Amino acid sequence: MHDPGPMVQEHAPEDQARNVEVRLTRAGLGLARRLGDGAGGLLLDRLLRILEARHPRAFAALGELPDARLLIDPVDAPAALLLRVGPGLALRVCGRDAEAEATVRGPCARLLDLLEGRIDGDALFFRRELSIEGDTALILALRNTLDGEEMDLFADIAAAAGPLRHALPVARRNAGRVLGLLGTARRFAPPPLRWGMAVLERRLSGPRQGA
Amino acid sequence: MNPFELICPAGNPAALRAAVDAGADAVYLGFRDETNARNFPGLNFSRAELAEAVAYAHARSVQVFVAINTYPQAGNLAPWQRAVDDAARLKADAVILADLGLLDYAARHHPELRLHLSVQASAANAEAIRLYRDAFRVRRVVLPRVLTVPEIARLNAEVDVETEVFVFGGLCPMAEGRCSLSSYATGLSPNKQGVCSPASHVRYEPRGAALASRLGGFTINVFGAGEPAGYPTLCKGRFVPGGGASADPAYLFEEPTSLNALELLPDLKAAKVCALKIEGRQRGKAYIAAVVAAYRRALDAFARGQPVPSLDLDAMVEGGSQTTGAYTRAWR
Ligand code: SF4
Repeated sequence: MHDPGPMVQEHAPEDQARNVEVRLTRAGLGLARRLGDGAGGLLLDRLLRILEARHPRAFAALGELPDARLLIDPVDAPAALLLRVGPGLALRVCGRDAEAEATVRGPCARLLDLLEGRIDGDALFFRRELSIEGDTALILALRNTLDGEEMDLFADIAAAAGPLRHALPVARRNAGRVLGLLGTARRFAPPPLRWGMAVLERRLSGPRQGA
Repeated sequence: MNPFELICPAGNPAALRAAVDAGADAVYLGFRDETNARNFPGLNFSRAELAEAVAYAHARSVQVFVAINTYPQAGNLAPWQRAVDDAARLKADAVILADLGLLDYAARHHPELRLHLSVQASAANAEAIRLYRDAFRVRRVVLPRVLTVPEIARLNAEVDVETEVFVFGGLCPMAEGRCSLSSYATGLSPNKQGVCSPASHVRYEPRGAALASRLGGFTINVFGAGEPAGYPTLCKGRFVPGGGASADPAYLFEEPTSLNALELLPDLKAAKVCALKIEGRQRGKAYIAAVVAAYRRALDAFARGQPVPSLDLDAMVEGGSQTTGAYTRAWR
């Protein structure tokens, strides 16, 4: 068995906080898949309702699109998402080969950046970090609608959780420090404990493919 | 005082705020219909959004220009005229027009409204520009992207109308019949309906490690593994000339590179250009924030007589490479 070594690199605190959010997103996808369509579906419905309450304009626009399915495939996450736009707006976890009118594929971190308008989708596409297939108009409509919003997935969720919303900025500020401490602890921990921590971390993130 | 105004694109209200906050002097935008040349799904402004945009920009001393720059269809002038009326009513600082009839309408009905001539009108010589000035009181002309800097300097010496030139973004000359290729492939016109290579007709297909881009059933380009990709715009397609007899596909009209005229600031100043324009209303707000901020820094350094910082924007642009375009085209 190889020593996994320190998994957390020295990055700016925002990058480290982002790292945690990306891992949480992957873990969330893994969890929703394990819960199956019933409980997992309820979880994703709740997520959509939270986002809708915060971004009514974007959701109204998505509801007005013709009925279509978009496969969103974070290639390094345990599952993909199927977004149904139009009157029956819905979000579900699915396999990577689910049938859809259009597909967007890319690393989980990039897709999250795209959702929040932190990165330019065209630039990602030019650099071949993002691949798209199928109904280009559907992808463009979704991209333009989301880009018009100031979305922040974790802040939006935290805001819906009431008192937690005050905790998020603090958590983000401190994420780097906490991860740094964890990294140091891991470096000084005896090997069996170190492996245990890595396993735990991997379990949290779900199985990673191609990463 | 800065020698140039920085004119920046916005495809939605969030992009407008990004452009204003990043240091634009003016933001140009369009209504959500066929009256502007970037009529894409999910893009552009409703009337209410324009009102909010004007309030946000004016509170920060930034101007708003409304592009109504497609050519109205015969027998259906109303959407274009309404767009001009609404831009004037909602206190836009200028409208950017191309069509003669619409210029005439705006000049007659809104004598106070500042008129700019769109790049779509392709006014590239002093006689044409004087005509637009005398007939419709056009105050500024956006020059077509086919002129060299010495040609621009000669033009500015001959006319007393402000000139605006593109300095960054996709190369879309909108001239010389290229756009008709897009109309032919899709049945929809860039010049009349504002849709060049509309997404409804675009498909990307993986071919092993390569990526093919298609428009209306025609393959426009095939990008090899790792090669920077581009939109399937026909004027930037890679074709096999000679009915397939030639071995290698080649770019026949334009290459899918992006314009960056930053190194030409001293020449553009000497040529008496008044405003510099960034292309990209169809791009996301992250692009707008990055490009506008970079240009703001560069223009401020230039105004102070300091060396202009080189901008690392390759990662942002189509084809992953930049060019000074026609401004320095030696063979012209
Ligand atoms: S065909 Fe070329 S020149 Fe015409 S609108 Fe499209 S990109 Fe611009």
